[in-house]
Amino acid sequence: MTPDELPAPDSVIALSGVWKSYGSLSVLKDVSIDLRQGQVHMLLGENGAGKSTLVGLMVGAYAADAGSLYLRGKKIAGLKPAEARRAGINAVMQDFSLAPSMTVAENYFLGREETRGVLLRKREMRSHVASVFADLNIRLNIDARVETLSRPEQQLLEILRALGGKPGAIILDEPTATLTHEETELLFTIVRRLRSESWAILYITHRFEEVRALGDCITVLRDGRRVAHYLVEGLSDERLIQDMVGRPLESFYPDITTAPGDAALSLVGIASREGGLREASLHVRSGEIVGLGGLIGSGKGHVGQAAFGLLSLDAGHVEVFGEQRAISGPREALARGIVYLPQDRRGEALALNRPAHENISLEMIRTPAGATRGFLRKRRLRGEVQRLMQILDVRPSSSATEAQRFSGGNQQKLVVARALSRPRRIYIFCEPTAGIDVGTRLELYRQLVTLCREGAAILLITSDLQELVHLSHRIYVMREGRTVGELCGEARTEEEVTRLSFGLPSAPPQPREALL
Amino acid sequence: MTSSNSGSEAARPKGLSRSISEASAWLARIGSLPILVALAIIVFAWGNPRFLSEDNIINVSQQGVYLLIVALGQMLVLIAGGFDLSVGANMALTSIISAKVMVALLAAFPHAPWLAVAAGFVATLGIGIATGALNAFGVGVLRINPFIVTLATTSIFQGATLIASEGTQVDGLPEPFIDTLGSGFVGNVPIVLLITIPIVLLIYLLVSWTRFGRNLYVTGSNPRAALIVGVSVTLTLAVAYTLCTILAAIAGYLLTARVSSGEPLLGGEFPLRSITAAVIGGCSLRGGQGTVGGVVLGVIFVTILANGMDMLRLGSSIQMVILGVVLMFAVVMDRYKTS
Repeated sequence: MTPDELPAPDSVIALSGVWKSYGSLSVLKDVSIDLRQGQVHMLLGENGAGKSTLVGLMVGAYAADAGSLYLRGKKIAGLKPAEARRAGINAVMQDFSLAPSMTVAENYFLGREETRGVLLRKREMRSHVASVFADLNIRLNIDARVETLSRPEQQLLEILRALGGKPGAIILDEPTATLTHEETELLFTIVRRLRSESWAILYITHRFEEVRALGDCITVLRDGRRVAHYLVEGLSDERLIQDMVGRPLESFYPDITTAPGDAALSLVGIASREGGLREASLHVRSGEIVGLGGLIGSGKGHVGQAAFGLLSLDAGHVEVFGEQRAISGPREALARGIVYLPQDRRGEALALNRPAHENISLEMIRTPAGATRGFLRKRRLRGEVQRLMQILDVRPSSSATEAQRFSGGNQQKLVVARALSRPRRIYIFCEPTAGIDVGTRLELYRQLVTLCREGAAILLITSDLQELVHLSHRIYVMREGRTVGELCGEARTEEEVTRLSFGLPSAPPQPREALL
Repeated sequence: MTSSNSGSEAARPKGLSRSISEASAWLARIGSLPILVALAIIVFAWGNPRFLSEDNIINVSQQGVYLLIVALGQMLVLIAGGFDLSVGANMALTSIISAKVMVALLAAFPHAPWLAVAAGFVATLGIGIATGALNAFGVGVLRINPFIVTLATTSIFQGATLIASEGTQVDGLPEPFIDTLGSGFVGNVPIVLLITIPIVLLIYLLVSWTRFGRNLYVTGSNPRAALIVGVSVTLTLAVAYTLCTILAAIAGYLLTARVSSGEPLLGGEFPLRSITAAVIGGCSLRGGQGTVGGVVLGVIFVTILANGMDMLRLGSSIQMVILGVVLMFAVVMDRYKTS
């Protein structure tokens, strides 16, 4: 219902009919978008659909090949990054523009400090920040140095800085990807506050719930084209998914009925000071997907590391197919049929300055199919890499491209491709779908189910509640380094997982008196 | 509800800007090095016509092979994310020890000079392995910064060289060693060049066609990722450092034949030159990058630069300045390329 005439009177920044290509690769084709005051504009699209490039045009990082850009209704040619910043166009991307050695309060006022003459009004600024934080119920120490904050906290601060400033546009690129539920709620509050202060917000996401919770209007990109643009009100989920993926979906999560076999991987009361684990116990059987949930910091990620021999254990033990023997390290774990897909793709999984095919084939070259007597079977490897890249729809599809040149979601696909490249008996997936678009997510789910049918044991460690609940046969929940519950059958609900995560009493709710 | 896409493909601007971006993409792929090499050849040939004479080409190839062998070793450790400053001290140590061994054997068996040459080579390999073990222990097992480790071993090797040689050169090497390995020819081709070619091919096979090669690249690019896919990082580093010192020792042995005596100060310029050649040839100081073809080109560039400057009668002091500038330039280019 939005008129295509650009820009609207209350437009902050608008792009009209822009084209952009890199070499022979067309990234944006005739795309228009208009960010308006007091509106949360959701931008959806698969990895490589052109979202990042679109943002790059808005902040002046790139210039469009054709089309126009309007700043507050005025046509601008050749927008410079500094110009965009002066006009109030802020992008909260992977790298933050915070000063790490300064405090939270100092960063909040960075670049717009209040002064009396030449002196800073330090006390007033500090108390102002304190009141803003108290108002929003933010429990961030305002005197903490920014470098001591976690990345999610830094991200929140980066967004908070927009508050109280002159309203402009703010661009959030998958802001909730690393946030806990609590932090996500806080983020939503901040975004709503910004909207009420007349900010224009561009919100990039893969999650439907967020579209519902925050969005005023939606633009969907596919293959560099705007395939859909409408208001959120009155929109069905099916319609949205269909527009994103380009095909209708009967059921989002695949059917996972299988008959599990014997216990493949068992963790018995493991504790690790190094990984903040106090007492974690779980088992995964062959032909079974076991989910592991919990808040960030609950230790669920460290369970995967411990099972793979990346953490030293202070107590407890790991059994693989009933055999109790310490796993000294990844080589030992791999030799016993365990493969681990780490959460931190850039830090732990990818050789960033090496081509995609080398990254994907790192597992295959350790099999007879990939190398004979240490010599690579390059043609076979190349064929297998191409097949995996096609299945997971990696873009760009050239396997000679360096891993660092791929977008975040496509980097994750490279890691997933590697994990799928070699049949294993036990898979440990840590946040496998972080940043992955819907289409590939579905393909990954299908692959997981196939592996499971073929008798693999799968431990799925994930912060995505829907994924956890719909994909797992059984679910364990972690809190403060302990496995605090196991959910089977009908008990596998998002509510139950959330209750256990926060340590709340389980349903049915207790009478109020009992709590007092 | 859904807006239609009115633009057509024809609306996309084409022509000059696109061919420029394609040209720059092509340039980024092959790199600027072939162009630099061609440019250097043109400049020097223009400055002195003798530069392209047959004599000088043979001369350049003879000068370049020693650097090539060392630079290939340097490449292996650069790919693994380190570097080796001790290659020069290693060459001097090899020169003295292998010369002493050869002189001793020649005295015992005066009628079997080739036996002495072979014994000298065995000593060379021994030194390569021993020095490599030392570097590998420091970098691979103790995980000390390669800068410190190889700086320390440089001092150790230099000290050992001075103790063994008492500061004087070792004369009286077997004649076939000097005449054949040092300055022999097959037709017009120097024998050292013929010895070097299989070494180059072996290193190429190793890095590009074996599992070890892939392990080497991933170790240098991201050691944590290497660990997680099951690469033994310690073993990979140890092999890379040991191969580097073995290659440096072989270069020291061959250079001893060239200068016809064991020299306690041999190879002093090799650490800088080998790193320069390798980095110009596309190795990154951050690891995970480097190819044999690139390093060969890098060595050609550094060698003809030195040779060309000789022919233009530039003094050795100014040459040192220029080489330092070239290394800085190469490092800056490396950063520009990866950012």
